Amino acid sequence: MYSKITTIQNKTGLHARPASDFVKCASKFNSKITIKNVDDDETASAKSIILILALSLSQGMQVEITAEGEDEAAAVDALVELIDSKFGE
Amino acid sequence: MIYHGNPVSKGIAAGPVFLYQPFTAAVSGDLLEESAVPEALNKYEAARKNAEAELKALHARLQSADPEKAKIFTAHIDILFDEAMDGDIREQIENNRYPPDRAIAEVFEKYARILRKAPDPLIKERASDIRDVKTRLIRIWNGVPEKNLSSLPAPAVIVVHDLLPSDTATLDRKNVLAIVTEIGGSTSHSAIIARSYGIPAILGVDKATEHFSQGETVIADALTGQVISEPTKEQLRGCAEKRRRFFAQQDQINTFINKEAVSPDGVRVDIELNLASVSEQALEGEKYTDGVGLFRTEFLYLGRDSLPTEEEQFEIYRAVLTKFGGRPVTLRTLDIGGDKKLGCLNLPHEENPFLGNRALRLCFDRPDIFRTQLRAAFRASVYGNLWLMFPMVASIDDIFRAKQAVFEVKKELTDENIAFSPDVKLGIMIEIPSIALLADFAAKEVDFASIGTNDLCQYTMAVDRLNPAVNEYYQSYNPALFRLIHLAAKSFLENGKPVCVCGELGGDRLGAAVLMGLGVRKLSMNISSVAQIRKLVNELPMKKAEQIAANVLALSSAKEAEQYLNSALKEILS
Repeated sequence: MYSKITTIQNKTGLHARPASDFVKCASKFNSKITIKNVDDDETASAKSIILILALSLSQGMQVEITAEGEDEAAAVDALVELIDSKFGE
Repeated sequence: MIYHGNPVSKGIAAGPVFLYQPFTAAVSGDLLEESAVPEALNKYEAARKNAEAELKALHARLQSADPEKAKIFTAHIDILFDEAMDGDIREQIENNRYPPDRAIAEVFEKYARILRKAPDPLIKERASDIRDVKTRLIRIWNGVPEKNLSSLPAPAVIVVHDLLPSDTATLDRKNVLAIVTEIGGSTSHSAIIARSYGIPAILGVDKATEHFSQGETVIADALTGQVISEPTKEQLRGCAEKRRRFFAQQDQINTFINKEAVSPDGVRVDIELNLASVSEQALEGEKYTDGVGLFRTEFLYLGRDSLPTEEEQFEIYRAVLTKFGGRPVTLRTLDIGGDKKLGCLNLPHEENPFLGNRALRLCFDRPDIFRTQLRAAFRASVYGNLWLMFPMVASIDDIFRAKQAVFEVKKELTDENIAFSPDVKLGIMIEIPSIALLADFAAKEVDFASIGTNDLCQYTMAVDRLNPAVNEYYQSYNPALFRLIHLAAKSFLENGKPVCVCGELGGDRLGAAVLMGLGVRKLSMNISSVAQIRKLVNELPMKKAEQIAANVLALSSAKEAEQYLNSALKEILS
């Protein structure tokens, strides 16, 4: 198991296109991946667009990305990098 | 009978009802035999493939015409392949032996409910996308062909429980007169699409699908939110007239809102915006105007317990200046007095607040407030073209004091090494007769004037414009007012200093015609007046405006002036 914490920095948060990009990236990996809202402990599968939308993650929120599986480190690093890149905004 | 709903997209139409019944998903209840599970999983997979093909085809069809709407179908494909839902559906089939249609229905509904609980209304709305994809999958499972509103036999008023996002995106626009639904709010897909297509829409009409029958004639009035069944001949005539007027108005707006305001004899008039907030809607006006002629800043102080900080003001001023690029943004310093209760500014009760310690006078009294606002404005000035103006100037001394305050703030900023634009223009509001009479002196002291016709009328006619008992004495067309404007404008124009009018007279066609004739080349108004004033300028030769203004100055009463203006401008007004 491998995990990292980061902060959502893009304006729209994890909604609309950024959410879709995030799920597409997560789906490339075989590991089981989750994203957690650090404030309220709500967790969702990083591969489900709907559950991620339901978390309503907006700018400034801290999230923890956790993965378990053969490519866990690569998966977490790629997703954290994507969030930190502000989704190209 | 008249039924009421929420008019979310303006317009009006009468026509036959087209009751639209989309596919409704009934699912089978019997559990699967264990041996049937593998085949069920295969069929589920096949249904998904078919649904994907349909969505891709819809996407392709819309992509070139309307890429924004095509995105709906990309989102639907994302939902169709959502891993969490897919996992749950497979589990229901494999472990609980649910037939796939039941598994799809239950799992999709569960996820739609999850989204419905989201605090953000936009995310909530996505639940309807999930239900849309669910309906598609179950329809395919049942082997029923796709049904939508993409081709209607004749123009009709669509009556439906609720439109699914895919229905609205593929709508046969030319044959949809209006949309009436039983549910949905102003942020729903139906509302957004109806507005973008300019189709009148009334949502939330309770039991609409039961009230109206297929083919009956109704009036859908999305100006008032009424749906009228069994309309009388008279009501139908009224509807036709309202529809004609609505379209004429829309045409005028569409033709003129972006048309440069140049008179037939080649004189340009700047059409500027009056801004009283920085909401997204208010800033929409940026697209149609040549600048901000009046940026009221009172909203920053209203409804709060503490004064707005320099930083807070700076951010807002910067945003507006940036939005307008190089176009002028005329910021009016705080214009408030004892007539308003302010939580952040305990103002004492006054007997005559309109003649009291207000606006610039209050700012001299409270230099801390004035200084904070001036600092924020000057700091923001590097982001655009700032014009700064002072309200309630009554004397030349007021101008000196205001300029002194500006001088001090500039010095402070320079000492602190904070940048500001050297080109900020300083101006005054002309709304008190005394300064209009001394405009020749004032014009030498400042860079521009802006005439606030509402207050100028109030102070010239000695009439409280908020007191209905003296309403008849508030006469915007009184020649006395035009004479004062003439005097003030002439003084400034002779000194090569621009004159703007930002009161209601500037957005009024009769008033604007006279103002043009008096040499005013900047009119500032609410967005709702922009199209009609651009039209007026385009149709009224400046030579004629000058003649009209000269004639008005020679009249003796407001009534005469109004009659004269109505007849002189008859052709343009029609």
